[in-house]
Amino acid sequence: MKNAFLIAQFEVTRLLLTRRGLISVLAFALVWFVILRYAIYPASRFVAGNTDNVLLQMVLNQINLNELAGWLVPELSVYWVFALYLLPLFCITLTADQTATDRARGTLRFLHLRATRSQIFLGRFLGQMLVQALFIGVTVLTTFGLALYRDQTLAAAGLEHMLVIIVNLLIVLLPYTALMALMSVFAKSARQAVMFAIILWIATALALRAVAQYFPDLTMLELVLPGSQVSSLLKLRTWETLEFSIIPLVQTAVLLLLGWFAFRRVDL
Amino acid sequence: MIVLEAKGLTKRFGSTVALNHVDLTLEVGDPIALIGPNGAGKTTLLSLVCGFLRSTSGDLTVLGESPGSAALHGRVAALPQDAQLDPRFSVARQLELLARLQGQGKRDARKDVARVLELVQLQQSSEAKPSELSHGMGKRIAIAQLLLGKPEFALLDEPTAGLDPPNVKIIRDLISATAAETTYLISSHNLDELEKVCKTAVFLERGQLKRHMTIDELEDEENSQLTLRMPSVSFDEFREAVAQIPGVVGVDQRQQHDFIVSYDRSPAGVPDIAILQLLKDKNWNYRHLILGKTLEDRLF
Repeated sequence: MKNAFLIAQFEVTRLLLTRRGLISVLAFALVWFVILRYAIYPASRFVAGNTDNVLLQMVLNQINLNELAGWLVPELSVYWVFALYLLPLFCITLTADQTATDRARGTLRFLHLRATRSQIFLGRFLGQMLVQALFIGVTVLTTFGLALYRDQTLAAAGLEHMLVIIVNLLIVLLPYTALMALMSVFAKSARQAVMFAIILWIATALALRAVAQYFPDLTMLELVLPGSQVSSLLKLRTWETLEFSIIPLVQTAVLLLLGWFAFRRVDL
Repeated sequence: MIVLEAKGLTKRFGSTVALNHVDLTLEVGDPIALIGPNGAGKTTLLSLVCGFLRSTSGDLTVLGESPGSAALHGRVAALPQDAQLDPRFSVARQLELLARLQGQGKRDARKDVARVLELVQLQQSSEAKPSELSHGMGKRIAIAQLLLGKPEFALLDEPTAGLDPPNVKIIRDLISATAAETTYLISSHNLDELEKVCKTAVFLERGQLKRHMTIDELEDEENSQLTLRMPSVSFDEFREAVAQIPGVVGVDQRQQHDFIVSYDRSPAGVPDIAILQLLKDKNWNYRHLILGKTLEDRLF
């Protein structure tokens, strides 16, 4: 496991100490600033308004998110919605190249002389999760900072919400990252890995829809797709969210197992 | 001690048989040459030994372990053909990661990186990225990673391909300097270089092991042959003169200036002294005189 952690650590270095990594960080920071300033901030003003606000009630009823009005820290409630929908998309592109390019270039050969295939595969996956944990941490903290700027008394209430958000977002991103670990085994580049993921996703979604149409009892098969529990998560705000964690954890375990099995057999 | 043992080793890529029931045992010792024409299976064999590929059938052990197993980390090293380091990180940072994966602590890894960079004479390139280095320097960096931690068994796939003579000499000297602690298996088309460094040779052809021989020991037919390189003498002139020497039964031309003299040992033994006397009398210059044949002539 020590080698897996070393490899994971190196992935964080790849983000912070390479030109491509720094450009990704800069791009992310700019996008995040725009979302924070022009989406989360005004939306949170709206949500933080008088709870007797009829317009607010109508809007939230329409999108089935009545519970958002009850959050003590509206900034975090809006962040929660944005993050649940946007972060998986970001995850797929960020984590697409876990082994593909290094395998095509031959760099993995140097690693494989010193680490097992399992250590390389797991290390790269863990590294990507560490990187995403960093991004989530920064974005949650900046959002919370925005809330504290408005009202410092929210500190205590917001801390628990922050933890709930961080833990749940990491769990939500696990199966997406595992999916890209699997796709990366078969692809020759990050772009190809993303293409494979899109094809697999759409094909699976269509197949499941067709199955559900003819066999309504098998509708729950839709839980196979990562993100299937997100709409349920939106309505919750405390640790009861972890009731839905079993779905992404099982998805992650299955995808990682498939990826690990494939990586052990692929030519380096 | 056995470094490599293969029994019935076979590797197929679809319908192509790259290695076909190869039986081979190599022991710890002097550098070993792995020779064969293009497509013989040399790179496939090296890749199987390193664990980059899985064999189709047969058995293969390296230092008594399965290829690619954790027990071999730090004991087996390789210079894979065409493999490149990550172009985005400095050489030192990547070598340090590799050293740490071999079990070295941070401080020991930095020292080892400095040591191997000094061995390949590239200390000044430690902060450079691989993309900033020339082909020769890149190859030397790849050899530097091979030397991390002092491996017991090292495989080199075309270590001198595309290198200029000074770089070839650096690599040859490096192999000679470290051969006491590391057993090398070197795949190369540069037979002249292999002859200077290796004591035994393994010859593959079309995926099969054809010969496993000692380079220094002469084979039966070579006991009656001498090879000379005569850059300033025509073949006809040389043949006419040498044919007069007692015991010489024939003179053949291998290349424009490479001549092979066949003789009968029984009456007068090896006629090398008589030939040298002849060259002195005729005032003919020679580049080299070899008892037997060159490795290239023995194999091809």
